[in-house]
Amino acid sequence: MLVGALIFGLGVIGFLARRNMIVMFLSTEIMFQGVLVNLVAMGLLHGNIQGQAMGLFVLVIAAVEAGLGLAIVVMMYRRRGTLDAESWRTMRG
Amino acid sequence: MTDTLVYLAYAVTALGAAGIYVGMPREAKADRRGLFVIFVAAAAGMFCLVMHRILGDVANHVAFVILSLFALGGAGRMITHPKPVYSAVYFIIVILSTSAMLILAGAEFLGLVLVAVYAGAILVTYAFVIMLSQQSTMHSERFRNALDYDRATREPAWTVIAGFVLSATIAGMIVQRGWPSYDAVRAAAMSEHNTLRLGELLMTDMAVSVELAAILLLVAMVGAIAIARKRIPHDDTFEKRRPLGESGRTAAPY
Repeated sequence: MLVGALIFGLGVIGFLARRNMIVMFLSTEIMFQGVLVNLVAMGLLHGNIQGQAMGLFVLVIAAVEAGLGLAIVVMMYRRRGTLDAESWRTMRG
Repeated sequence: MTDTLVYLAYAVTALGAAGIYVGMPREAKADRRGLFVIFVAAAAGMFCLVMHRILGDVANHVAFVILSLFALGGAGRMITHPKPVYSAVYFIIVILSTSAMLILAGAEFLGLVLVAVYAGAILVTYAFVIMLSQQSTMHSERFRNALDYDRATREPAWTVIAGFVLSATIAGMIVQRGWPSYDAVRAAAMSEHNTLRLGELLMTDMAVSVELAAILLLVAMVGAIAIARKRIPHDDTFEKRRPLGESGRTAAPY
């Protein structure tokens, strides 16, 4: 569980810090991994299988997120010609 | 004893945060030896923390420790590496060690599905997008190869502090609330047919959820195709407004 928490923390750092949008999405996947490890550990600790079922749904969500997020990234890249998240600074209110 | 464990957990996360801060790619050439020392110290602390629980059934424990170190190291290097392709490679390391950990903990079906879904599907998608959108200028120097928005991070100190506070809180909470010993987890895992029970649960109690997940995947596929297939005209006004090279515009428009 500790390992899961630390992996999640690393993912948060990566998402906030990096400016390349692809690496930001990879960091969210790292966060998913941390949550998955923790779900499985908790489910096994309580002696039931629900943790693993939830882990499967986390996998589904990760796949959906990767597909949609990467489609958006491709669209943004075509529009601006760069993967820099800072180039969308003008969206700031 | 629990108090010292809490502080040890804080120390380990702090060391890891410091290592990440040092390792962030930036314009000036960073001193990488300090990074190595910090990471070794953090790994040793982690090792002590995990070893505290360990007596008996040594081989599995040692394997678990090594795998978790691999996962953490891969994740750390993934978010500090200046080139996205290598980040993807380190992400594969994280996936493989995580799934090995799951199999070791008795969740064999989930571990195998993890490898299949991530390495087979998600990583290939990432690789495609990276190839579509990455033109690195060909210089032999190590950092020249990366685009300049990969070389410089935004606000490394604050992000590392935020991540450190988050993970230190979670780690301290886990240690304080009675950390589940690995033996208990393993004993719970070994007493049943995991995959069979998982399938029964999914098809009886969670059948609606499974259907919802399937519909969600379908909708996401349709949405992704709808987003990505439009040919969007390149935004010319944006280019004129902005001086070249200000925000890492080394890539030519698609």
